[in-house]
Amino acid sequence: MKEIVYIAVGELRYWLRSHLALGGSLVFLMLISITSILTTGHINAENNARVQQQKNAEDTFLTQPDRHPHRMVHYGHYVFRSPPPLATFDPGLDAITGQSIFLEGHRQNTAMFAESGASADLGGLSWLSPALVYQIFAPLIIILLGHGAIAREREAALLTPILSLGVSGYSLVLGKALALLIFIIIIMIPLMVTCTIAVFKGADPIAAGLLFCVYLLYLIVWGIMTLCVSSILHKRSTVLAVLSSCWFIFNLALPSLAVNFVTYTTPLSGKIETDLTLLADLHKVGDGHNINDPAFGQLREQLLKKYNAQSLADLPVNFRGIVAIEGERKLTNVLNSYAARRMAGETQQSQQLANYGWLTPTLAITFISRSIAGTDLANYHRFQKEAEALRFSFVQKLNHAHAEQLSYSDDIQRNKDEASGLKARINASNWKSLGSYHFKKSILSDRVKSAFYSFNILLTWFFEMCIMLFLCARGINS
Amino acid sequence: MMMLQADSLHIKRANRAALNGINFHVNSGEIYALLGGNGAGKSTTLLSFLGFLKPSQGQVRVKGIEVKSNIAAARKVMTYLPESASLYDHMNAYENLKYFLQLAKRHVTESDIQHALNRVSLNQDSWKIKLRDYSKGMRQKVAIALSILRDTDILLLDEPTSGLDPAAIDEFHALIRDLANNGKAILMVTHDVYGACQVAERIGLLRDGQLVGEFSSHSDAPIDPQIVHSAFLRNK
Ligand SMILES: Nc1ncnc2c1ncn2[C@@H]1O[C@H](COP(=O)(O)OP(=O)(O)OP(=O)(O)O)[C@@H](O)[C@H]1O
Ligand SMILES: [Mg+2]
Repeated sequence: MKEIVYIAVGELRYWLRSHLALGGSLVFLMLISITSILTTGHINAENNARVQQQKNAEDTFLTQPDRHPHRMVHYGHYVFRSPPPLATFDPGLDAITGQSIFLEGHRQNTAMFAESGASADLGGLSWLSPALVYQIFAPLIIILLGHGAIAREREAALLTPILSLGVSGYSLVLGKALALLIFIIIIMIPLMVTCTIAVFKGADPIAAGLLFCVYLLYLIVWGIMTLCVSSILHKRSTVLAVLSSCWFIFNLALPSLAVNFVTYTTPLSGKIETDLTLLADLHKVGDGHNINDPAFGQLREQLLKKYNAQSLADLPVNFRGIVAIEGERKLTNVLNSYAARRMAGETQQSQQLANYGWLTPTLAITFISRSIAGTDLANYHRFQKEAEALRFSFVQKLNHAHAEQLSYSDDIQRNKDEASGLKARINASNWKSLGSYHFKKSILSDRVKSAFYSFNILLTWFFEMCIMLFLCARGINS
Repeated sequence: MMMLQADSLHIKRANRAALNGINFHVNSGEIYALLGGNGAGKSTTLLSFLGFLKPSQGQVRVKGIEVKSNIAAARKVMTYLPESASLYDHMNAYENLKYFLQLAKRHVTESDIQHALNRVSLNQDSWKIKLRDYSKGMRQKVAIALSILRDTDILLLDEPTSGLDPAAIDEFHALIRDLANNGKAILMVTHDVYGACQVAERIGLLRDGQLVGEFSSHSDAPIDPQIVHSAFLRNK
């Protein structure tokens, strides 16, 4: 066993004396440090901005004067999504999906970008996050360092003399693997720092630890792949060529192709056609502003019968408010069913894409990383659902106030003159029913659950690679 | 005692017969020199003793153990000096020796290493220079120092004197004579007919994977280089 350590130390010494290895590592460490600092700063600023914007939006809503309740329904309100603490490492979908939603009556708005920081004039290039650097560039530096591990010895006719000392092929390969593992742990120091800072900012320590473990596993897969190729092929240049091709295929070609395939095989229905059918469905629900809409005829009859009233003016509640409540309820049901269908479609696409992790470990780690960091599709959907729940609740609270605090006669007179308009208002204290909103990070067990499938894929990659390495080492033995 | 033994050894390389049924042995305390033209199968013979090449027929034995059945045990008792003094360019002589000896599980002191380097008369100024700045002969000296330090019962030396200057060759011959006198068995591949005759007890002549002649020295009368030389050239 000692010889494994000696071989590892020998390899580390070689890297320390090689300009290529040192230069490559330095460039990588600079790249990861810069992206870590920039992303952490950016996400923290983003978080502060969202919290502030949310507070401002709430203040604005609350300081509105007495008004007609339905005006407040249309006045609307904003909710903001603050990034989870681990977004400093992997912003995931957060970076490319909207962070704010405008909440108003009768509509479900899509999320918008809260700021113009990532504008189109940046050439469509996306933000380089620490996660992306580890997913894409770390394998490259591992290849750069590790490709010669065994091929170099073979090329320098050192393999036979080394083995003739009584060193087995297994020891040789394990020693090189140990050296590569040490190197991988060294280049993961920036990840540890970023995640530790995130923990101080509120991230779950377990989630941070899990991120470390899965990235370690991912980079080990690359390390083993590198060693396998290095031990099979005879020339360093061929090893490098083969590994670079693997890198290109696994990191660039396959993930993009997978997206193409998924979009082709599992298409989402187009926005325009869904919007048209949605419009038709909404039409059937009836217009909540119009008490004479036949859609509410039955409701009217029921109420008159219930209160034994002759006309709407005799009702103890404001029928316009009742219609608004009923209209919003029905309309929201329709909107929600469409939203659920869209989210299910998106989720299905995402699951299809995750399947391609069997072909490339890069996709597997992408999914695991986003899930654990809390920046995956499920999290984005959660934001949309929470926003919708908030929208529905505040609209209905206002509608209830409309039905209960404003009389029918005052309400229908509201446009007669200025005095009538002033009479058709409710007290501003009602606006408080809005409550305050904060988008919290999802619970850890949910995140782990959604990472589980891709984690199994990555684990399978790891075991497959171990078997490959075992076979390669056995080949060296003789 | 028979330390190395080849019994009707056949080896195939790249689907061609590299060794075609050779028989010979090396006793302890003996220097056996293998002579032969390029591609005759000399290096192949050494590699088969080390278990890197498996016999298609016949067998090789090291200290009586069949190599195929226990490669690890066989390698433990043999030192192999490869054809091209294979050492690490990015390390100096000291570091190279230390590294190889660590891997061979052989514990030596600093002074052992200094002693060995002195014995191969490697200039002390160059001990701490990286091997990429060494000449061929200097590298060869380090490789020889390593073979001494391994201190095994058997030495397999593939062209150990290649690149050495005449003085160094004489020193080397004295060195292996000394080792043999201490009971080591030495199998040495060489192209130096005169040197071989000076130092070896026996000489085997290989041609096309076959042992075509064996010459022995007799009490104090070394092998006559003239005879070996003409045998070498015959039928060429
Ligand atoms: N790596 C190899 N792969 C396949 N065949 C080889 C290899 N090395 C040598 N051979 C073949 O084995 C035969 C014996 O070669 P070997 O290296 O034993 O010769 P040698 O006597 O050591 O020659 P030299 O004096 O040139 O070192 C030759 O026919 C050669 O073609
Ligand atoms: Mg040879």
